[in-house]
Amino acid sequence: MLDILTAVLVTGLTNGALYALATVGLSLIWGSMGMLNMAHGAMLALGGYITFTVVETLGLPLPVAMLAAVAAGALAGMLLYLGIVRSLLKSGGPGFETSVMIATVGIAIALQNALLLVYGGQPLRQPFAISGAVGVGAGVVPLLNIVIVAVAVAVMVAVSVLISRTRMGRAIRATAQNRDAALLMGVPVGRVYLQVLALSGGLAGICGVLVSSITQLTPGLGADPMLKAFIMCVVAGLGNLPGAIAAAFGLAIIEAAVQFGAGARWGFPVLLLLVIAILIWRPAGLFGRAQIRRM
Amino acid sequence: MLTRRSLLRGSAAAGAAGTALLAGLNGARAQAEGDPIPVGAALPMSGIAAADGIEFQNGLTMAVDEINAAGGVLGRPLELHVEDTADMGADLVSQAMQRLIDRYEAPVIINGYNSGTNMVEMDVAADNDVIFCHYNTMISHNNKFKEDPERYYGCFQGDPPEYYYGPGLLTYLNTLIESGQWTPPNRKLALIPSANEYSIVIANAVRDQAAEYGWEISLYETVQFPNNQWGPTLAKLRQDPPAVIAVTHFLPQDLAQFMVQFAPQPMNSLIYMQYGPSLPAFKEIGGDAVKGVLYSTVVGCLPDEFSEAFRSSYRERFGENSSYLTGSQTYDGLWKWALAAAIAGGPGAPFDREQAMKVAASMNRLIYRGVNGICRFDPEGQSAFCYPTQIADASLGMPHQFLQHQDVAADPVMVAPGSYAKAPFMMPPWMS
Repeated sequence: MLDILTAVLVTGLTNGALYALATVGLSLIWGSMGMLNMAHGAMLALGGYITFTVVETLGLPLPVAMLAAVAAGALAGMLLYLGIVRSLLKSGGPGFETSVMIATVGIAIALQNALLLVYGGQPLRQPFAISGAVGVGAGVVPLLNIVIVAVAVAVMVAVSVLISRTRMGRAIRATAQNRDAALLMGVPVGRVYLQVLALSGGLAGICGVLVSSITQLTPGLGADPMLKAFIMCVVAGLGNLPGAIAAAFGLAIIEAAVQFGAGARWGFPVLLLLVIAILIWRPAGLFGRAQIRRM
Repeated sequence: MLTRRSLLRGSAAAGAAGTALLAGLNGARAQAEGDPIPVGAALPMSGIAAADGIEFQNGLTMAVDEINAAGGVLGRPLELHVEDTADMGADLVSQAMQRLIDRYEAPVIINGYNSGTNMVEMDVAADNDVIFCHYNTMISHNNKFKEDPERYYGCFQGDPPEYYYGPGLLTYLNTLIESGQWTPPNRKLALIPSANEYSIVIANAVRDQAAEYGWEISLYETVQFPNNQWGPTLAKLRQDPPAVIAVTHFLPQDLAQFMVQFAPQPMNSLIYMQYGPSLPAFKEIGGDAVKGVLYSTVVGCLPDEFSEAFRSSYRERFGENSSYLTGSQTYDGLWKWALAAAIAGGPGAPFDREQAMKVAASMNRLIYRGVNGICRFDPEGQSAFCYPTQIADASLGMPHQFLQHQDVAADPVMVAPGSYAKAPFMMPPWMS
């Protein structure tokens, strides 16, 4: 029995950590800008491939490669803001949410195909791979899963500290609460948006490294985490960071338990049924505000 | 630069068995200088199957170059046109095929595989009277052909349907036991398909005939597609360890993850997979954990002397990480069509039913030894015959290849069928 519990918890916690990391990036942008970034999944893939290039082509150590993935993701986020989002914010008016969603779908397709052109279509092995396992009762826990959860939790704690304890975090929170009031208080809202997209991109970069370490490097590797992250965001209430993390872990463990108890194919359908039930019960999500608007 | 003379000189080593025949058919038309013949291919060049789509295109490119160097088809060079089917499905694939016909007037379309199409490609080919050859590896091709053979006369599946994986596996397992190469701890077999038609048809074929071959299905667990977290499935397997775990899900990266997650706490079970382990990504991702994995494929470039030149040329041209096992499929498909079209007196054009029927008849008559083995079409379903499950004569069917990863630093070794085998079965390291 203990080995079954271990297997279910390991799968649930690992998936939960990955979903949570993807969700935080997505939720951060929605919460502060009212923007659904459909290119988030492609930015995950970019992070994974950057790590691969830095280790395999440039021969640099893995920690440097992971920092490079974060930097590349952050740069991609900044370019997204400067090249597209800023213009849409100026001209989009009430249609911003729709236009930015369509624009980022285009960016996602372009980025995925660029990766396909550069790296080819064959799946590649992510250099961030740790072999070995730790015995827990009658079961075993792979070291890679432990590291994934540890890194994801550490990153989320760092983001939490950054948002709650730093000057930059205060500016982000102020802009999210009331953009006009923040402007009147001298908060440079444009710069805050740039920072938010850079932060989200950096998170996507590190998340891409972790996801590809347990799956593989392909241009489409971000599609599944992106879908799951969106579901977690909706369940938690769009824009609610702690809620999104709780929803990610909770739903991932339920998914793993259903996969064991009812059959692997029922995991995702049950997850979707739960989402529907939650949204009927609480349309704004479990921890959501009644109404979300772009400030 | 590949020339007709250099190609003919190297043909014996290259394994391009059709080169001399095609050059003979071309006769005095030694140079491919006539009007180009558009050859269409609707391939997944982007999306989840892009890796295979690129290889299918590579195979076609190689075949086009070789055929043109041999004088083309009756003096007319081939010109390849590829349309992207992206994430596949009936709508995207049928539109891509129709574009190939409307824009380029392609009299032939050679596809690799496209999933989720419900074989709608056959309707496009039939409606436009073009020859269509594909490697979807689906029994639904045979079933659709049987519904109306006159309508689908020009539709061919270049390999045996996936159904033959089932009886092929059961036969092979019993051969291992009878020959004393393996003593199973029990007669239980666990089946792990994923939620797609291809994978489920194979699993069902095993399940439905298991008892007949003396096996009991202890677990039938369908996983989602794609799937990389195997923890809950492995926990179920460990509750009642079977003698054989047959994973009929086919994505190489997911199968590699299965082995990576299986390795820390292995069971005394023989692990069989299909198709995915034949691709470089399986070994690349799985590393040492994949040593001992047994797999089979009903189509793939044979690791024999005949195909050696193709394999080395392919890798030299498209890179060490390229998969000649995939590219070989469309390579053989185009070669067989080119020979058939030359024998029939020309490729025809869309809506030229009379000529298309001549080419189709020629395709049916021609027994072609390509780099994947023999391609001879079964008149009942117009798919390649499967050796040894469907036909006992090795010279008349495409071999159902059983291979094993015995050394992760080298190519996998073929262990069956007997006439093609290069080494005996090796007991996997987690079982010995």
